[in-house]
Amino acid sequence: MALTGRAGLLAALAAIVVLLAPEPGLVVLAAALVLAVLVTADLLLAGAVRGLRFQRDGERRVRLGQSATIGLVVDNPGARRVRGVLRDAWQPSAAAAPRRVTLDVPAHERRRLVTTLTPTRRGDREAVAVTVRSVGPLGLAARQRTFHVPWTVRVLPPFLSRRHLPARLARLRELDGRHPALVRGQGTEFDSLREYVVGDDVRSIDWRASARRSDVVVRTWRPERDRRVLIVLDTGRTSAGRVGEAPVPGSGPSGWPRLDWSMDAALLLAALAARAGDRVDFLAYDRAVRAQVSGASRTELLSSLVDAMAPIEAELVEADAAGMVAAVLSRARRRCLVVLLTDLNATAMEEGLLPVLPSLSSRHTVVVASVADPRVAGMAAGRGTSEAVYDAAAAERLRGERRGITAVLRRHGVEVVDALPEDVAPALADAYLALKAAGRL
Amino acid sequence: MTATTPGRARQAAWVTSLVVLVLVTAALPVLLMGGQAGGRSLDPADTSLNGSAALARLLQAHGVQVVRVETPSAAVSAAGPFTLLLVTEASLLDRGAAGRLAVAFGDRLVVGSVPYLDVLASGVRRQGPVRARSRAPECTLNEAVRAGAAYTGGTSFTGPPGSTGCYPAGDGRSLVRYTADGHTVTVLGDASFMTNLRLAEDGNAALALNLAGSRPKLVWLAEPGDPDEAGGSGDGTDGQARSLGDLVPGGVKWAVLQLAVAVALAALWRGRRLGPVVAERLPVVVRAAETVEGRGRLYRSRRARDRAALALRAAAADRLAPRLGLPRTATPEEVAVAAATRTGRAPEPLLALLCGPSPGDDTALVALAAHLDTLERQVRDS
Repeated sequence: MALTGRAGLLAALAAIVVLLAPEPGLVVLAAALVLAVLVTADLLLAGAVRGLRFQRDGERRVRLGQSATIGLVVDNPGARRVRGVLRDAWQPSAAAAPRRVTLDVPAHERRRLVTTLTPTRRGDREAVAVTVRSVGPLGLAARQRTFHVPWTVRVLPPFLSRRHLPARLARLRELDGRHPALVRGQGTEFDSLREYVVGDDVRSIDWRASARRSDVVVRTWRPERDRRVLIVLDTGRTSAGRVGEAPVPGSGPSGWPRLDWSMDAALLLAALAARAGDRVDFLAYDRAVRAQVSGASRTELLSSLVDAMAPIEAELVEADAAGMVAAVLSRARRRCLVVLLTDLNATAMEEGLLPVLPSLSSRHTVVVASVADPRVAGMAAGRGTSEAVYDAAAAERLRGERRGITAVLRRHGVEVVDALPEDVAPALADAYLALKAAGRL
Repeated sequence: MTATTPGRARQAAWVTSLVVLVLVTAALPVLLMGGQAGGRSLDPADTSLNGSAALARLLQAHGVQVVRVETPSAAVSAAGPFTLLLVTEASLLDRGAAGRLAVAFGDRLVVGSVPYLDVLASGVRRQGPVRARSRAPECTLNEAVRAGAAYTGGTSFTGPPGSTGCYPAGDGRSLVRYTADGHTVTVLGDASFMTNLRLAEDGNAALALNLAGSRPKLVWLAEPGDPDEAGGSGDGTDGQARSLGDLVPGGVKWAVLQLAVAVALAALWRGRRLGPVVAERLPVVVRAAETVEGRGRLYRSRRARDRAALALRAAAADRLAPRLGLPRTATPEEVAVAAATRTGRAPEPLLALLCGPSPGDDTALVALAAHLDTLERQVRDS
């Protein structure tokens, strides 16, 4: 049960009567009795909440930064009208609105209420409770009850870097069979024979086929297809650090985790590679496999990727590089492109990845992509005061370490992409295209 | 969002109205008290407009002992052969008490519409109500003649044979005096000339002093009040000594109790949550640059100019080497020499800049950073 403001107001009004009455003590007693009787009557006459039935409908998935509408159908099987308020409680970062709605369901009828979610971060957001407060006809007291009406909305990564996709696809088409190359080069494979048209390079004429067909025939080439790309996402402690400015409102002033920027880059790479005809697998790993996608068809790749990425959070443990390499090697039996999204943290790399890197880079092409911190770049440019110069020295030291580890990785034959948060996705896509053009996949 | 804003406004209106109500309730007793202005009329201890404290003070100044009593029995015991008993319309009487007063020692002064007049002043008869106003004495009674015009009226009387009547009103007189059984009994139809309000008008004060001060001791039968109040005010002290708690009427305490109930109900209303508090496991918020900032502060607090200079020089050399066509593994000395060749500057200062001793103070460190920037710009532009 719950009281309303009217009960308090009534008691306050009774105070005036008490003041003017000849027998104030009796009036106080009488007021208490009358109020108790009225509240009890109101409680008895209020619509029953115990029997209410609920049903949800609406979206199950929403991209971060967008809104989802969830319907809640309230069915009143009781004999009395249920009037009052309803609160549909979600987890705070689901940013559900409105927080409470007025409810008026006549007997044996149902009403549909709508809650709008504008989540502020990735992951699964759950409906926690539905609380109904049914106010009596006098408006003095209310019956209240909380129900559990489960519903989960999965907040997917926003894939903001998809605006870079058209430009990369155009680049891909230059490599691709739609602009068939007439010159055999690295990273191309035989595509088809077709009739010679004026303007074709005479060097690409296939004389043997021309002799068979009694017509001049040229060979065309196309980039390699059906390569394998394995995207490995490091979800260890280094991925929790926040960099840049969060592109989604409500995420807080301290930026976006490296993990989310890495996911953005991974999604762009996956979309590009799928269009290029390569098979894309995905693995998220810190000390165990957090999520994986393998063998997804090209049409379903992106949806299954975002679905697998959505609930991943950075674990505050040191990533197990040896375990990660073992997991990669067990999954990638054929030669493939391993894209490792991690941080170029010198100590973590030297102790973790570098000792086990040769076993990986000897069998696969490895790309390490890392999100640089624009704040460090800003600090490195600091001049003028001694404080700024000391900060600049600290930033330069970190960047020196990153350069050092980059040089070591390159000596192992590993491609390194180290870019600012907004640039890391297109930079990784460009690195992939360069590798594809060079035939190193 | 649009749904919550009117909700908030309605809530604010509720709270405001509640606050206003509480304030009005708190102010009511004060207003009511002001309206009553003290209810103890014709009381020698009351300083309000209806009271008669001024007259009591005047009598005391003229050497008359004023004894304030509240019950007829106390009046009878206080009365003696040389006392005057003052009975006003505010005195609480029944027939038996009136009878006891009628046979008590001393003279009697009966003022206003006192009940059982036939007992207290057996020969006097009520003639009829008349308007109270300023009247001339028109008689030979010394007290009245010396006082002159006074505010009298109220009731007109006819006295027994041998009585004296003054201030004619209607068919009778509004003041009648007669003597019977050794008592001199004076009856007046209206008592307002004795109140603090009227005492200063006309000859009211003189009349009241003449009538009430005729004996050295005046027994004033006043309206019964609170027991604690009646105790200490026997000689007509005013109410200044009473505490604030005594001034607050009894109903206010109960009203405060009722308000406390109201506040408790309001607390229950506001305290009841609409459903449980929702908890959520939030990810850790840590900025990636924190370690770098910490290292910068550490350099600063330890004045680690050598390490800071080393980091700045190494970074500059790393950036210069590819621009000068040197491998990344080139030593700072090689970079300095190559930069001198490219920019046409003397090699010694560049050697000192890129691989000299560490700066001696913070100013030198700031200057070193600026010089490195200049060198990089020169190499870039050359």
